[in-house]
Amino acid sequence: MTTSTPTLSADLCLKCNICTAACPVAAVTELFPGPKAVGPQAQRFRHPRLPSPDLSVSWCSGCGTCTRVCPHGVAIAEINIQAKARLAEEHAPPLRDHVISRPEWLGFAGSLAAPIANPLLRLGAARWALEKTLGIDRHAPMPPFARRTLRSRRRQRVVKAVPADPTNVVAYYHGCSTNYYEPDLGDKAIAVLERLGCRVVLPPQRCCGLPMQSNGFFDAARRQAATNIRLLVPYARAGIPIVGTSTSCTLALKHDYRVILGVEGEEAEIVARGTFDIFEFIAGRLEGALDAFDFAPVEATALYHPPCQLKSHFMGTPALRVLRRIPGLSITLSQSECCGIAGTYGLKHEKFAVAQAVGAGLFRQTAQLDPEFVLSDSETCRWWLEQHTRHKVIHPIELLARSMRLA
Amino acid sequence: MTDLIVVGAGLTGLFAAWQAARRGAQCMLVTAGRGGLELSSGCLGIASSGPPLRQVAKAPLPHPYALVGLDALRRAVDDLLELLEASNLPYAGGLESNLELPTAAGGTACAAYAPRSLARFLDAGAGPVTLAGFTGFRDFDSVLASNRLSARLQRPVAAADLPLPGSLPLRDLYSTDLARRFEDPDWRAQACAAWRPILIGVRHLGLPAVLGFRQHASVIAAIEELLELTVFEIPTLPPCLPGLRLESVLREACLAGGVDLIEGATAIGRVDGRNAVTRAAGIVAQTAGGPQVIDAGAVLLATGDLLHGGLVARQSGRLQESVFDLPVVHSSNRSTWTAPHFSDPQPYATFGLRVDARMRPLGADGAPLMQNLFAAGGILAGARRTEEGSRQGIGLATAWRAVESALP
Amino acid sequence: MPSLSTQLIVIGGGATGLGVAWDACLRGIKVVLVEQSDLGQGTSGRYHGLLHSGGRYVLSDPPSATDCARENEILRRLAPTTIEDTGGLFVSAPADPPDFPDRWLTACQATGVPAHEISRASVLQREPLLSPNLVRCFEVLDASLDSFDLLHLLCAALRARGGQVWLRHRVERLVQRQGAIVGAEVLDLATGERASIGAQVVVNAAGPWARSVASLAGVDLPIALGRGAMLAMASRLVSTVVNRCKPPSDGDILVPVGTVSILGTTDEPVETPDDLTIAPWEIDLLLAEAEILVPGIAGHRALRAWSGIRPLYRPAPAAGAATRLLPRAHTILDHGETHGVRGFVSVIGGKLTTFRLMAEQVLQVIAPQLGSDTSCSTATTPLEPSERRKFHQLPGRLERVERTQGAPPAQLLCECELITRSDLETALGAIEAPDLDDLRRDLRLGMGPCQAAFCGYRAAGLALRRLGAPADGGLTPFLHERWRGLRPLGWGHTLRQMEFGRRVALELLGLVEPAETS
Repeated sequence: MTTSTPTLSADLCLKCNICTAACPVAAVTELFPGPKAVGPQAQRFRHPRLPSPDLSVSWCSGCGTCTRVCPHGVAIAEINIQAKARLAEEHAPPLRDHVISRPEWLGFAGSLAAPIANPLLRLGAARWALEKTLGIDRHAPMPPFARRTLRSRRRQRVVKAVPADPTNVVAYYHGCSTNYYEPDLGDKAIAVLERLGCRVVLPPQRCCGLPMQSNGFFDAARRQAATNIRLLVPYARAGIPIVGTSTSCTLALKHDYRVILGVEGEEAEIVARGTFDIFEFIAGRLEGALDAFDFAPVEATALYHPPCQLKSHFMGTPALRVLRRIPGLSITLSQSECCGIAGTYGLKHEKFAVAQAVGAGLFRQTAQLDPEFVLSDSETCRWWLEQHTRHKVIHPIELLARSMRLA
Repeated sequence: MTDLIVVGAGLTGLFAAWQAARRGAQCMLVTAGRGGLELSSGCLGIASSGPPLRQVAKAPLPHPYALVGLDALRRAVDDLLELLEASNLPYAGGLESNLELPTAAGGTACAAYAPRSLARFLDAGAGPVTLAGFTGFRDFDSVLASNRLSARLQRPVAAADLPLPGSLPLRDLYSTDLARRFEDPDWRAQACAAWRPILIGVRHLGLPAVLGFRQHASVIAAIEELLELTVFEIPTLPPCLPGLRLESVLREACLAGGVDLIEGATAIGRVDGRNAVTRAAGIVAQTAGGPQVIDAGAVLLATGDLLHGGLVARQSGRLQESVFDLPVVHSSNRSTWTAPHFSDPQPYATFGLRVDARMRPLGADGAPLMQNLFAAGGILAGARRTEEGSRQGIGLATAWRAVESALP
Repeated sequence: MPSLSTQLIVIGGGATGLGVAWDACLRGIKVVLVEQSDLGQGTSGRYHGLLHSGGRYVLSDPPSATDCARENEILRRLAPTTIEDTGGLFVSAPADPPDFPDRWLTACQATGVPAHEISRASVLQREPLLSPNLVRCFEVLDASLDSFDLLHLLCAALRARGGQVWLRHRVERLVQRQGAIVGAEVLDLATGERASIGAQVVVNAAGPWARSVASLAGVDLPIALGRGAMLAMASRLVSTVVNRCKPPSDGDILVPVGTVSILGTTDEPVETPDDLTIAPWEIDLLLAEAEILVPGIAGHRALRAWSGIRPLYRPAPAAGAATRLLPRAHTILDHGETHGVRGFVSVIGGKLTTFRLMAEQVLQVIAPQLGSDTSCSTATTPLEPSERRKFHQLPGRLERVERTQGAPPAQLLCECELITRSDLETALGAIEAPDLDDLRRDLRLGMGPCQAAFCGYRAAGLALRRLGAPADGGLTPFLHERWRGLRPLGWGHTLRQMEFGRRVALELLGLVEPAETS
């Protein structure tokens, strides 16, 4: 539950501690005073015209659990992200935060230089240098760049304008990670949607800006927001659903632009309402096609970790509803609120150990269950989990594709 | 298609959703946040002023107990106790009499059932007990807890403060922080070693209810072994672990049973008025992106009372039911809502929905408003839960009856 | 009965009484101040927290406006730590009399109250929650003044110079000899012991209680009491004092004070100084008027309501001739002249901003009677600033808590107002016979959003350990008192908070047994 003016929602806090009890970061480190303490509690003491004195809010990972569990309507995580942005204004953030905020630059440069960059990133010395110069933890996951981006692979689906006939058209917001790092996932998502009767197009789009936002670069993030809204609103207006496989990107389009970055206006609203997580779309709009489909059995166990960013959509876990249709599949749910990485939080050298501790329960659960599949909808969660569990972690759409004989 | 949407995730909503899943229904639990169990002692209050069963049996209409009947209460409690036993969170008690257990402020609280870790206080019989807090832990004070209790129970109650091992924490610790520490075998061994000399001669030790979360039962057993005494827990200020343990068992039972859980979304009711009989069509969930329509065969409101948002009191004197805007039994004169002292029975606490014996909200004409809309728990009118000690009993019994009615 | 002798007894521990005692003390006069309760328990502590620029009075009471402007400047010099320089605004709304702002601005110039017009756009940039429909906006030198801070500074300064302040002592009798007051008998309300104080002059600065004090000397003091309700919103909706630029009326001001913003005020005649009830219409009116300044304010959380009593001197027409009625909102009566009771002076009414000036005028009357010809030096003697008092200004407390990161932890017992265990321990040690309500006045314990639902228990434990009594550490009466201020606001989120606190106290803590409640 959120309101459009997060800081004002601080008033609604009853101090009940439901958020504190649920916070995965406060659970593992005393450096973080907890969501209530740095959120609605500290907010009363932040003077709008004086520097904010509390650096401890920077330990918030932005996972959003607090806002989701608050029964009284306090936008706790949003208050904290805005407080972090004020800190970024007042204290120049390290170069590292600028770098990790721009996956689009990195991805673009990385794909061009993939033959050189990928082996280099596997070198301990290079990672050591990154840690020392930028503060990106040497153990943090850095996936290899793909040699061909999704858009170049699927050039025939790239469009510059809204198709004349919008019937069954789906605009795929693939985001940076699918385009530059995981184009195979994009291929499978497109295949699943098309198999279920959609016509998939790749509309013009830019990085959603969420990494900038969570590192406090609100102005840069607002520029991304404005560009994406301009690029996507014609599709939404034409009734073409904007569907994404990256839960954090779709959350930015749906919620963060308006509530956290304060982007106003009808267009932001139209894009928000027209954006869907891929499973939300499939479960909600393609139920008939699902009912008619003959899913191949997958005799296996799967551990499903719904990312915190997905849970912040406030729509539950639609992937679970769809995956239950796969015969033979036994799904176990993650018992952890968050895997730890929380976007770019776990990349930072000083946060790395905290992020690991947040994920420890999930790593343990994975080891104990030792499932055939580990599933998670968010790319950073997948990379982080792969690194810490030594299990291959896939997007649930990939498992669905398999059961649809598309893999 | 969802068979039943339960709105609200307190004791009532979680229990109802779990019940629905057990009956094989496709159930969706939609909640704007986590419910009130976090501030609950974990005890199941049925009726605290006398033998619970007899009190329930003689509750007059329109008390929810009079509508729901003894049978629903019995079966609800049996189902829950079975789940708790199977989930390694055993409870003690019965419907014939109440357990009187100490509180953190030196009073006592009565309930028909309590987590065994709390009820173990009674193992001390009339013998002496020691209540101990942890130095620097602000949400339980051993002196405050023991001071009045001794006089009230007419038996010796001592107080002690136990140091927490390790270096000073960097911030105040919540009960949940301590619960996690207690789950670390090394930490608790170190703690118990430091406490043994302080607790020489103590046979029954009361500690704040922070002794583990998921591994609670084994934590208590380990401490008792290390200290060679019996340990009972006393609930702390929120977050209150015994309530959180109960919540966690119920939530996991829901998820394991295939309940679709949507957290964070507020719900607005949808009404299907196309036919002669008005029906609830489902809800509109306010998701991050915007409103989302969810259809369902039936809707159960377990949204709670004024505290939890099922009812919203307006400055104008209006009382609003937050999902379907149903008529609420209340006084429209705002100045009559509260009593002069906080400990007085409060008129507002009795406000709520009127329902029939199947837990369907009623209109002014006394007829059900919709055929497939149900309500249970704190949102129901006609009970003084605080004074009666009936909060959990009403929640469980009405949830049981509502699910039975919704999924015949 | 123990006795002592002094030169001057001042009755009343509000701003007026402390101001008189301080002025006397600086002139070398021996003084004992007697207060029946605690500092600022009457009108001084029950106000909206405004240091007047004078703007409010430029048309209704021009001399008062000039006094306010002058005293405002002086107080900023004397006690800067008690003042937050918020600045002030006078704004007019579309429905306000359109000719008022120009008349008002002219009157500001005539009375020496600095004011100038600024653009609505710049006001909205500074205060984004204010209504975009404001018509005219003016900037003035209002500020917020923490009266408890000021009273504590005055009390400390007084004691440091040998003046005595007796709290929780009630004057039971004024001793008269040959038409003159020569002393007082006082009762220690904590111990029940009596003491007698001999003095040459007694000043009655008992505010709303001045009539009953005067009656001890056989003097009938005609006083009218006006009750004003105020309401604190849970957060600072504005960072500048905002006044309505229209003739003075109910609900015309919004003052940011520390963590909250205060809406003031109404004016209802009452019979007794203890009638502090608040009617629903008063709350509705305050919120409706504030809605004009801050649209949507009713959607914010109202934290607490309280009322204060303004005493005003209302002589019968015939008695008027014999008084020294000053052309101001306050009145000084030398009862030697008015009632033939020498050595007894009453000071009635006034406002916090001009307390120093009132005291100076009282001393002009009594100094000759005490044989002092020293001139007033309160305007040039700064009050010793208290480090602790920075406490109330934003973001000081957060900074303090934050600084201890990594160092031994601060242990926050009141999380809403960021009060630490050591703050409470210090206060418990410093106050004579403290209860939780004293800690509240001193530190804002229980004044934040949770209204003592958490901190009450923690502080009660500390108090019980330190004092050994009462059995619940004083928690039950403290929660009753919190409840009293919440009741007028019992709807919406405030009612949620009330029920939350009640649920914790009764169901979780078993604070009051069911048998006791029924």
